[in-house]
Amino acid sequence: MFWRILWRLLYASRARLALAVLAVASGAAVCAALLNLDLDATDKLTREFRVLGANVVISAPSSGDAAATVNLDAIRQIEELRLPEIVAAAPYLYLSGDAETEGNRAAVIVAGTWLDEVSRMNSWWKVDGNWVSARENRSECMIGEQAASRLGLIPGQSVKVHYAAREATLRVAGIVTAGSSEDSQIFIALPLAQELAGMGERASLIEVIARGSASEIEDVIGRLSIALPGLEVRPLRQLAQAEGRLLERIRGLLFGTVLLILALSSLAVLAAMAGLALERRRDVGLMKALGGSVRTIMRFFLAEATAIGFAGGIFGFIVGMALSEWIGERVFSVSITPRLIVLPATLALMVLVSLAGALPLRLLGRVRPSDILRGE
Amino acid sequence: MMAALVQVEDVSKSYGGLRALDSVTFEVLSGEWIAIMGPSGSGKTTLINILGGLDRPTSGRAIVDGVNVGTLGERQLTRYRAEKVGFVFQHFYLVPYLSALENVMLAQYFHSIADEVEAAESLVRVGLGDRLHHLPSQLSGGEQQRVALARALINHPKLILADEPTGNLDEANEQIVLELLRELHRSGHTILLVTHSPEIGRMADRRIELAHGRLMHIVANLT
Repeated sequence: MFWRILWRLLYASRARLALAVLAVASGAAVCAALLNLDLDATDKLTREFRVLGANVVISAPSSGDAAATVNLDAIRQIEELRLPEIVAAAPYLYLSGDAETEGNRAAVIVAGTWLDEVSRMNSWWKVDGNWVSARENRSECMIGEQAASRLGLIPGQSVKVHYAAREATLRVAGIVTAGSSEDSQIFIALPLAQELAGMGERASLIEVIARGSASEIEDVIGRLSIALPGLEVRPLRQLAQAEGRLLERIRGLLFGTVLLILALSSLAVLAAMAGLALERRRDVGLMKALGGSVRTIMRFFLAEATAIGFAGGIFGFIVGMALSEWIGERVFSVSITPRLIVLPATLALMVLVSLAGALPLRLLGRVRPSDILRGE
Repeated sequence: MMAALVQVEDVSKSYGGLRALDSVTFEVLSGEWIAIMGPSGSGKTTLINILGGLDRPTSGRAIVDGVNVGTLGERQLTRYRAEKVGFVFQHFYLVPYLSALENVMLAQYFHSIADEVEAAESLVRVGLGDRLHHLPSQLSGGEQQRVALARALINHPKLILADEPTGNLDEANEQIVLELLRELHRSGHTILLVTHSPEIGRMADRRIELAHGRLMHIVANLT
């Protein structure tokens, strides 16, 4: 009988309740979208931030010897660790050399690295021309746009790289715009740089991209430090902390908005329920006269509020998932995956909001049947 | 001699400065049909409300089936209304979005457990077997009042309180409802009925006449 009466109550006030469901659904849609963004986008944004470059650097201990280098066995050890947080790692050998074209010669920093990893480590770079895809390509290089400009280079032309008494002629595959010191560098294959420097399997440092929260990255650094006892493993603090602050701000904004939306939804339900409470005074008075206890009668109305929260929550979740995908693409440029955990969270929030909004119905508990039957 | 089902002892009721009932005393025997009469504002509805547990007396005692209604707590009053009395109102007071059957079942639900078969039988008894699933808005005034009667009787109450049950009915429907009340009386139900109509008053076993909240006369009708 309870469900039968509940259904009749819902059906009888369907227009007013539909408005309440709409209000809850609107709130739920925004909440579900923001919660989903918080869960999915934060992770993806973290990954996106990682794309902005390395956040861990491994080098020889600083002992005043600027030429201290790292044995490449270290990078093999890193690979053997198979840490899921490590997205990419590459060795860099930096040489202070010269680049020469016909009629131009300029000092440049020569960066010898695994050329196939350059695109993974620096995917945000703008490249005029092509990336170099073969790790040990000894005939091609990439050059920063400032260096290219000084040397008057365009993709496809040749450049001669000098270091000490050695030289190598390379074809420019692509010109890099990074907006940082890389714009003055020239990127060549690591073995070639090692040959120019006359050193064996060594590099100046190893750059690592690790993903995860600040504490996860700290954990990765700890494990690398244990695995590489003779080397110095340090985070690139500035970037990591900036990422952390930005994520915290985004998260704060999301939660603030969710709270505001919940409050507004609750007010909308409150307005609908206040109207309903007036409409139901006579019915409640009659139910009380027939022997209905306040508890029994209020159960109908609380169930009604729960149903509003539930229906609004489900509709809102569906719309919210679409909304989060849209916001993800438009605002954060990441593709968002719906997280199912958001559904129970949205439903619980919306039921709570509806129950809070149903507070005016508590006034019905004070209705005196004799007043109602007297026509007051 | 039959036992008194209702004992009203020196009952008064005031609303602020207005004295709606003033030291009213009478008894109603089990199985009796009492007509409560008097002009508007004489305290008839107030008396019914006190006996029905919808209102409390300011002073005096209203005892129904051994229960002093005025001393009951809110929860006990709710149980009292569900178990001891059946109401029939002038304006029917059916829940508009429940069908005839569901209106009767609602009273069962508040009493204990809703029984659809029993509720349907009670509507068949008042001649509404073909109107079970109609909403009140789809029923005539007389039909609505018969639903209210079926609802009042469904929990087998000790006392039926009817406040001008024919006041909103045309003559044909009035006769149908009165005939149903006669049947209830014949089957041993105790009825307190508020009416302005002398004719209906004469159908009762006794008439209690009120004026300005005071009991003026108790008249036994000759049968």
